[in-house]
Amino acid sequence: MRVDLQTKVATRNRILKVAATLFARQGWDRATTRSIAASAGIATGTLFNYFPSKEAIAATLISDALTKAKDEFEEGCRGESLEEDLFSYIWTGLRYLRPSKTFLGCALDTLLSPLARSSPDHPGDLIRTEHLETVERLIASHHRVRQPLSALTMQLYWTLYLGVLAYWAKDVSPKLEDTMALLDQSLKLFVTSLEEGASAFGDACSEREETNESQR
Amino acid sequence: MNPNVSDLISALSAWENVPNTDSQTPENLKELLAGLSRRPLPVGSLHRLWSVGELSTQIALAYFALWIRQWLRTAETRDRAVMETNLRVALKTCQRLSYLRGALMKVGQTLGNFPDIVPTEFAETIDHLHFDAPPMHFSLLRELLRSELGADPEVLFESFETKAFAAASLGQVHLARLKSGETVAVKIQYPGIARTIDADVRNLRALLFPVRLGKDWEYVQRQVEEIHRMLQLETDYEHEAASLRRARKLFTSGEGIVVPEVYEKYSTKRVLTMQYLPGVLLNDFLATNPSQELRNQFGAKMYLASLRMYYAGMNYADPHSGNYVFMDDARLGLIDFGCVQRYGDEEKELIRFAEESASGRPDVLRELFRRSANLEDVDFKNQEYIELLTESHKWTCEPIQHDGPFDFGNVEHLKRGIQLVIGLVRKRYTRSHPMYVYFNRSVFGLRALLYRLQAHVDVKTLHREEVRVPSGPSLDELT
Repeated sequence: MRVDLQTKVATRNRILKVAATLFARQGWDRATTRSIAASAGIATGTLFNYFPSKEAIAATLISDALTKAKDEFEEGCRGESLEEDLFSYIWTGLRYLRPSKTFLGCALDTLLSPLARSSPDHPGDLIRTEHLETVERLIASHHRVRQPLSALTMQLYWTLYLGVLAYWAKDVSPKLEDTMALLDQSLKLFVTSLEEGASAFGDACSEREETNESQR
Repeated sequence: MNPNVSDLISALSAWENVPNTDSQTPENLKELLAGLSRRPLPVGSLHRLWSVGELSTQIALAYFALWIRQWLRTAETRDRAVMETNLRVALKTCQRLSYLRGALMKVGQTLGNFPDIVPTEFAETIDHLHFDAPPMHFSLLRELLRSELGADPEVLFESFETKAFAAASLGQVHLARLKSGETVAVKIQYPGIARTIDADVRNLRALLFPVRLGKDWEYVQRQVEEIHRMLQLETDYEHEAASLRRARKLFTSGEGIVVPEVYEKYSTKRVLTMQYLPGVLLNDFLATNPSQELRNQFGAKMYLASLRMYYAGMNYADPHSGNYVFMDDARLGLIDFGCVQRYGDEEKELIRFAEESASGRPDVLRELFRRSANLEDVDFKNQEYIELLTESHKWTCEPIQHDGPFDFGNVEHLKRGIQLVIGLVRKRYTRSHPMYVYFNRSVFGLRALLYRLQAHVDVKTLHREEVRVPSGPSLDELT
């Protein structure tokens, strides 16, 4: 029986909605693809037509939330500094990830950790790639960096971001104020290191130019 | 008098890593402070303990070093050595305290009120601690306001300035205009400060561990608890709003003392929106070279404000230059009620007794010391201790007993008070009722400000007109 596009979309959305509820209610480990399929009223095999794994479902939930967050961020006003923009971008993401808070911590390891990437189509890869592309664009718009951002710099950033996500997932402080403070201070650290690195590179380039000039 | 006004005042010593005093220009100091704003805040209790522990250890070592050096020097060079070492320690302390944004900055502000401890240029630079705390950027502020008040500032207010116009030790203040037209000051607290304070107090308790074995541990513990309680209250802007409302009722419009109105709809535990009072702060007021008459008028208002609140059961416990606005029409604005100690029945009884002790009668003084310093019969045999307490009491009462305007611009009066505190600290006479932790801070703080103002105030007349024991409205009657 052919299933039309509308039905496919509806089934996909139902799976996602049910999965989000089960992750929150039962926890990451106890919610299985079988229980998700059963709650969605479909066969487990049918579920695999839409999502190859539980991780893929979680990745889609997170990715959808972060896409909406990115849209809101892009529509808003830009800050005066890189710190402001990064803070706004990340915190907007956390707001949209709120429904995923209970299971995100557990999913982080398998989804977003740099060590979890086993194949090019790993479900967390898209999330990471899209996020880092936005961050690189923000950095470029605020800083005159004379070199491409190194892989190490972006890895440093990604580790910082994951740390904030992990902390946020477990944060029980009123209105998540502890995460807010951690994010603020972490970004200060990152941007300072970026600026100092760019400054050192700039000094080195200036010195080289002066040397070349004197040799001519 | 209780020696807990500021443990840092008593820290006198040379310091290895602080630049030589002679090379310390106002520009250097400003650079030092500017650089601090770029430093990340340490997160977590252990990192803060490292900073606090290092500071207190170095202060203790520095103090010991000075004690040794003093034996080796003549009187003239000894004074110079004291000044040099005071500056070194204060600079290092300034660095540490500004680094640890939060409750510890309060101690740094106390230093700024004692210009005779440090050179004038340094006192003015320290003043910037009151106003130039490391800023929160607007993205953070927007999220804070959204979280606290339920909407973005652009939605809540007719206008909202993205740049802070003042800094508080726990956050910063922005000007805004309500949709109804009023200009307001919106104070926003840095996230997580209350928990930071809890970490600070845990660290303080750990540092005080050696004192546990001493006979005074019980009293020190009560004082630490009082400090903890007050610091926690400072993070509660709802408590501050309540203090503002109570204080507003104490002053009539003709008295020239203004307490801002609170706008409840835009205020929470972490956000306080109040009436904006236009004017200048102390430094800028002094820069206009005001007449002696104007200095005296403001000085009298500052004293009257503290006095009236005191008798209404509220100790305005944080009198520093950032708390007072000198308005163009000669009114005095009081703008920070974060550190207001409220007195219960026990404290009010002590106040009544302290009033009687102004007579100087030995039996009354003895009873006051017994109650306020928790002295036992054996303590009264310690001649030196009793003399110090008596001198301290005399110092406190001196302006009250003086006929006519008292010259607070006389530096000798302030110096004598500080020396008495140092004397008590050196002898480790730390026992007192917890109320005096902040009472002494308010007495010293106010007199230091009046010194900077060079004000002459007829304190005796003010006291005579203000004493409402046992009649007159109390705090309870005002609520």
